[in-house]
Amino acid sequence: MRKFWIFLANERHILPFLYATLTTAAITILLFFVRANVETATVALFYLFPVGISAAIWGFWPGIVAALVSFFSFNYYFLPPYGTLTVHQSQDILALIVFLVLATSISQLIGRMKDNLNTANARENETTRLYELSLILAKQHRESDIINSLAQHILKTFQADRVEILVDTESSNTVVRLPEHPLPEVELSPQPTLLISLQGARHLLGEIRLWRIGKSINPLEERLLRTSASQGVLALERARLTASESRARILDESDRMKSSLLSSVSHELRTPLATIKASVTSLLSEDVPWDSEARKELLSAVDEETDHLNQLVGNLLNMSRIEAGGLQLKSRWNVLTDIAAGAIKRARIASHGHRFELNIPEEFPLIFVDDVLMEQVFNNLLSNSLKYAPANSVIEIKARHQDEQTVWVQVNNQGPAVSEDDLVKIFDKFHRVTAADQITGVGLGLSICKGIVEAHHGHIWAENLEQGFAIRFSLPIHAGGEAPRIPNQ
Amino acid sequence: MSNQPQILVIDDEHQILRAMRTILTARQFRVTTASSGEEGLALAAVNPPDAIILDLSLPDMDGVTVCQRLREWTHIPIIVLSVRDSEQDKVRALDAGADDYLTKPFGIDELLARLRVALRHAASQSQVDKKSVINAGPLQIDLAQHLVLRNEEEVKLTATEFKLLAYLASNAGRVLTHQSILSHVWDPADADHVEYLRVFVRQLRKKLEDDPEQPLFILNEPGIGYRFITDD
Repeated sequence: MRKFWIFLANERHILPFLYATLTTAAITILLFFVRANVETATVALFYLFPVGISAAIWGFWPGIVAALVSFFSFNYYFLPPYGTLTVHQSQDILALIVFLVLATSISQLIGRMKDNLNTANARENETTRLYELSLILAKQHRESDIINSLAQHILKTFQADRVEILVDTESSNTVVRLPEHPLPEVELSPQPTLLISLQGARHLLGEIRLWRIGKSINPLEERLLRTSASQGVLALERARLTASESRARILDESDRMKSSLLSSVSHELRTPLATIKASVTSLLSEDVPWDSEARKELLSAVDEETDHLNQLVGNLLNMSRIEAGGLQLKSRWNVLTDIAAGAIKRARIASHGHRFELNIPEEFPLIFVDDVLMEQVFNNLLSNSLKYAPANSVIEIKARHQDEQTVWVQVNNQGPAVSEDDLVKIFDKFHRVTAADQITGVGLGLSICKGIVEAHHGHIWAENLEQGFAIRFSLPIHAGGEAPRIPNQ
Repeated sequence: MSNQPQILVIDDEHQILRAMRTILTARQFRVTTASSGEEGLALAAVNPPDAIILDLSLPDMDGVTVCQRLREWTHIPIIVLSVRDSEQDKVRALDAGADDYLTKPFGIDELLARLRVALRHAASQSQVDKKSVINAGPLQIDLAQHLVLRNEEEVKLTATEFKLLAYLASNAGRVLTHQSILSHVWDPADADHVEYLRVFVRQLRKKLEDDPEQPLFILNEPGIGYRFITDD
């Protein structure tokens, strides 16, 4: 009973009946003024108008109400004796009955037609909504975006007061609540009006909770919501599949990287180890009396190869730090000449008659860099130059002011030119311009230089010169933001 | 008892200890070894050596802590060993009282040179009459008279330049950290202003070195500080 009153309290429900009654009343008043000049049969025909109109506009039941009101009004006002519901003539009784049957049938027919039309409209509406949803979801690739779009769509389509979507992901739970800023005066019961689970192919993904005050959810809407939910499930599963696929691809790639690193590194480690082992076992064996010259030769080889190994290990360590983003700069004000000269001193030991030139103007500013890492950059660039440049050629370190805030530095040699394609690729890990057998090295040197220079907010690039080849990099002078404080003399 | 200096080597790598014992014994040093920090501290206390070679990465305690604990009671020279890319650790060890450092792997010539400097420095610390004139190639630095000669000619230095040179030269052969130079020559409050040092070292090199770009006397120790090199 209470439900009925609530039903009636909603004006949307009561108004059609009111309108049907009013239309009938209007016709009654109109006919009442012309009662003297009109025949009873004509009046009955006129009364079919409000019945048809009510059924057509407001539906079957308002049509029936209009038919009943018409029936009584017709009887009361137009069938003698007027002003009573009694009927004298038998043909009038027949007319009344015919009228009632006719009016009911008309309102039934029109009402059904209208209901059919409504259903067709609702179907079309449902199809449109689903199409819209599928368009929106197809554009989303991230799980959170999908959930958000779904929630927004449901909120709009169902004119809900609140929509919550809960989705369990592998690591955490995602909860989307809409509207984001609910009106404070809207009080919702803890129980949602409708709860629909998001059932995936293999397991439950989550659920949709919908609250709507005042208007219950009809079966048609519930069906639409379930269909929307299953669209959402499809989109979510697709997103998960894509994500796991790309994760697998990344893992695969890093696996390939690692095995390429391992094969390259183990080759690089074994080569010096082979030299060391051969030299040392030779010296240890008592079969051959080594003269001092041969002894020295073997031992120098061991010495060089251990340095080589040490450099390799250092590069690997730096590379892994750069990769992990763990390169921590200990920048301070430094003299570039000092750093470059240190690297040249080291490179000279491994050179084959190369001539080193240091071309940095005296008035070159102090630069704010990590000197240990910066020396590593020069070490790698010089060691590359030694590998590729012909013996007895010139290797130069040159630096200039670029502008107020920037300097550029270049290490150039008289080595062979590099193809346009390789100019960019040489900074990739393990990229080697020449075949691996000809030149030793893992191909990490330049990518480490790149990592270090970029950590200093600089840029590094390669250039072919008219004669030879250069690696150039730019560095900001005041990476620390503050100018150096120079004391008084 | 012989006069041969005794060296204590503290390192957890068995092969390093073995090599050190062989190499140093062949060079007429007496060698004791310890494979942990605690063992090293105990050995040093029972039988004080003339110098200690200390690896910074020990299984039981931080090498820097070993330095500090040693410095609580003794001035025995300490040379720390560490791997590359750990400049911060080296600086911490030097500031905690270590005399010098070597980066693994190192050549044995380097180690012997460091040992010689450390032993000599320890000896001169204990003598009352310190050497007041220091020779380095064409340079002659008279600490008492505040006089610097290069090829017998006087070099004009500002007060700060001389103070800096005097501090470097009186610690000849040893590495000095930026911080220790800055707080000694300027003020402890200026210990972070490496730029002062850069400017003054450049000036000194211009006045003292033949080729300031390839210095022979005031050497850079990247990430650590400077080292002044003399003839011997």
